[in-house]
Amino acid sequence: MTTVQVVKDILDANERIARENRRLFDEKNIYVFNLMSSPGAGKTTLVERTIEALRDRFRMAVIEGDIQDTCDADRVARHGIPVVQINTGGACHIDGNMVRDALPALDLDNVDLLICENVGNLVCPAEFRIGENVKIMLLSTPEGSDKPAKYPLMFQESAALILNKIDLLPYVDFDMAKARKDALTLNPKLEIFPVSCKTGEGFDAWARWIERQVEEFRKS
Amino acid sequence: MHELSLVQSLLDIIEEYRDGGKFRKVNTVRLSFGRLGGIEPAALRFAFDVASRGMPAEGAALEFDILPVIVSCLDCGRDSTVDGFTSQCPLCGGDVLVTGGNEELRFLEMDVD
Repeated sequence: MTTVQVVKDILDANERIARENRRLFDEKNIYVFNLMSSPGAGKTTLVERTIEALRDRFRMAVIEGDIQDTCDADRVARHGIPVVQINTGGACHIDGNMVRDALPALDLDNVDLLICENVGNLVCPAEFRIGENVKIMLLSTPEGSDKPAKYPLMFQESAALILNKIDLLPYVDFDMAKARKDALTLNPKLEIFPVSCKTGEGFDAWARWIERQVEEFRKS
Repeated sequence: MHELSLVQSLLDIIEEYRDGGKFRKVNTVRLSFGRLGGIEPAALRFAFDVASRGMPAEGAALEFDILPVIVSCLDCGRDSTVDGFTSQCPLCGGDVLVTGGNEELRFLEMDVD
């Protein structure tokens, strides 16, 4: 019996593809965010509102990741924005390879901001980089304020946390202070935006933040 | 469910090292990951058993080095090793930052024949 030393990250192959995607995005000056949440937290509504808020500022495109169906892509397409649907066919996340395969469907010379909406899942998407500038996480108030404690990796990997459905706070037991504290314990740099994608409350702070991120990236 | 993707990458790395025929059989695979990393050993083992059928890695034992969660206290400045997520220092009750435990799945070594 022989011992073979390996010492290799299992996701090396994905990392390589993600880096290739990143190189392409840098070449085309495209800012990319990877939007993650559990199913039903409001990712597609956030995407729709973000499109409306920034459509005069940036040329945008969207990649929609779902296990099956195109209903999210159809919703985004109604805003007149280029959109590609990735159907993962069972996989619980999108990875670098799936994004690479989706890119030829987009005219990358005419995109400033690419939004990748991941498959609804609080675990797996956090592990697979796709070439994004940042990961953005959405947590909705009915899901409960215990989520940072239960799904730590996602909070550690994200640059911003959007706490959605604050219009429901009077009806659900969501401890805003605990959610904030636990999230910041995991990731002190996390930017936190309480919003309601339904009423628009708090949305402007998020829109201005992401607008600034894109501007700073495109200047550099 | 991402365990199947991880196992596929693991098997790819094994094949890369085998390089056509450098070994016949894998007996043990040693892996490490952080306790907060979202990896479930039982699910990984199950996915490995299914995906490795007919390959040199079929039947190999998986061993895991699970790296602990470490919290650094913002009040007393000391580091502690804890079993799972906490936002409180076990020594003084102060606020902490989680500074270890989210390490990604890593392939350390394998025993082969």
